[in-house]
Amino acid sequence: MTTVGISRAALVLLLTALIAVPMVLPKLGSSFWIDIVAEILIWSLLAASVNLLLGYVGLLSFGQALYFGVGMYGAALSVIHWGAGFWGGLAIGIIAAMAMAAIAGSVAVRLTWHYFAIITVVFSLILYFAAMSSKPLTGGDDGISFSAPNVLAFGNTRLSLADQSVQYYTILLVVALCYLLFSLVVRSPLGVRFMAVRENDRRAALVGINVYLTRYTAFVLAGALAGASGALFAFFGRYASASYMFYHVSGEAVVWAIVGGAGSLLGPLFGTGLLIVFREIISTFWEHYLFAVGAITVLVVMFAPRGLAGAWNDLLQLVTRSGASASAPTSSPATDPGLAKPAADTTSGG
Amino acid sequence: MRDGGENVVALSVEGLTRRFGGLVAVDGVSFDLPTRRLNAIIGPNGAGKTTLFNLISGEIRADAGRVRVHGQDISGLKPHQIVRRGVSRTLQIKSVFSGLTVAENVRTAVMAHEGLASPFRPAASYGAVNRRVEELVAQVGLTPHLDTRASALSYGDIALLEIALALANEPKLLLLDEPVCGMGPQETEQTVLKIREIAKTVDVVLIEHDMEVVFAIADEIIVMAQGAILARGTPAEISSSPEVQEAYLGAPEEED
Repeated sequence: MTTVGISRAALVLLLTALIAVPMVLPKLGSSFWIDIVAEILIWSLLAASVNLLLGYVGLLSFGQALYFGVGMYGAALSVIHWGAGFWGGLAIGIIAAMAMAAIAGSVAVRLTWHYFAIITVVFSLILYFAAMSSKPLTGGDDGISFSAPNVLAFGNTRLSLADQSVQYYTILLVVALCYLLFSLVVRSPLGVRFMAVRENDRRAALVGINVYLTRYTAFVLAGALAGASGALFAFFGRYASASYMFYHVSGEAVVWAIVGGAGSLLGPLFGTGLLIVFREIISTFWEHYLFAVGAITVLVVMFAPRGLAGAWNDLLQLVTRSGASASAPTSSPATDPGLAKPAADTTSGG
Repeated sequence: MRDGGENVVALSVEGLTRRFGGLVAVDGVSFDLPTRRLNAIIGPNGAGKTTLFNLISGEIRADAGRVRVHGQDISGLKPHQIVRRGVSRTLQIKSVFSGLTVAENVRTAVMAHEGLASPFRPAASYGAVNRRVEELVAQVGLTPHLDTRASALSYGDIALLEIALALANEPKLLLLDEPVCGMGPQETEQTVLKIREIAKTVDVVLIEHDMEVVFAIADEIIVMAQGAILARGTPAEISSSPEVQEAYLGAPEEED
């Protein structure tokens, strides 16, 4: 079996398992875990948002919680004030987050590396304090709550989020759609541009790519992913709170993305899953469980720098290579180590 | 554009100036380079050669002066806009997309040239692009390495890949910054052959330190020193010029 074949099979298995969750877990007497899996799915989109920027265009954002928060309020406020349904609220949350990203991004993506990271934090802090102090609108720290709208109202059939299974499958559907779109984008010509900018922005410009516009597009799309995550979380918890805009939340998403493997589509989903499950189990008897999360992160960065996804790919390579009779490695090492390529390209006077 | 014959100007630079603080890196440089010639720019370190290239390719903004390529004014445009107008360049320190394969590298450049940015259709499904990629990779002789990661290529092959990237936009003008810098004799020979071949169809300007290479392939040479043009002529004229000899051998060490 080829690596592609195994990966496909694993994907089918994952999807089957996710679909089976509401049917199997109650039989094991733990309906509580259905909500945990739903929560993992939702938060994984915030990690995916970090991943789109870090893993595909090479920008490390510590401010994605801002777009999560805007998505949350977009959904909550449109339900409360305009009587929006689930789909309307979701759409408004995503659009609001994209609009926010379009504003912040026009400044942020002019910078790279630590400057970019800092300005994303600054933006999220400004909006965090603004949201905290506009209590009448946002409810500040306490937040605002609403009752769950229908997902579908069709004659007499009504599907409500109040039903745990309906809620779970709705979330799974939206999250799966987001990953589907994500996978299409990163394989498209636009994705090719993203990766060119990640690999070498100077060369990207020198083959005719507008680096600024490419980073900006990615930033707005990452805003959409974070917004979808926030809107779903608002429906999941039936409330929105400014506290979710704090950069602590952004930082957690960065950890999930890195532990899962930035630059791989589903890596961050597993990173989120692992660390949330870990939190749910360990925090019940050890309140300082974040120490352990920190230790896990350090170990992953040191021993599996490409995260869980990278480790999985290495394992696949190992299995298929030892399984196949004599398939040659795809790449040959540099013929002359003395002429190894210099790491960075710098402008030098001549 | 190529039917104008000998009197068409490939690259015209007029009063190009760039200061870095107190240093005038490029000082009112003007020249016209005729098309269908392989032009070389030489000069000691700090003469302003790379800065001149950076000004032409738009990576650095000029303080004064204009640049025209085949009569088209490209002054003040951004690097990606200049590439779209048919000017390509390679860098002194070879610059490719290291984490991508040779095919992916070239595909990136071809898609950028075609202006493709669809967010949905798979990048691998563009037949015309795939054919063009194969063609370009074959042109620089990297077909056996199509699926090799750029980071695993030898230095000479990275240089060839960079040339393939630069050719993807079907350039009218190709700027090569020290194309054989850091190469062994065999790689140098391979690259020089490739440059000669390319120069038959594309106007090439190269900066080079390796005098043997320059005198072997250039039709015309411009000598720069301290940001200005010191001499200009055929390889034979340049090699016998006393001014050039002085700039290279006689003059005391300059401070950059």
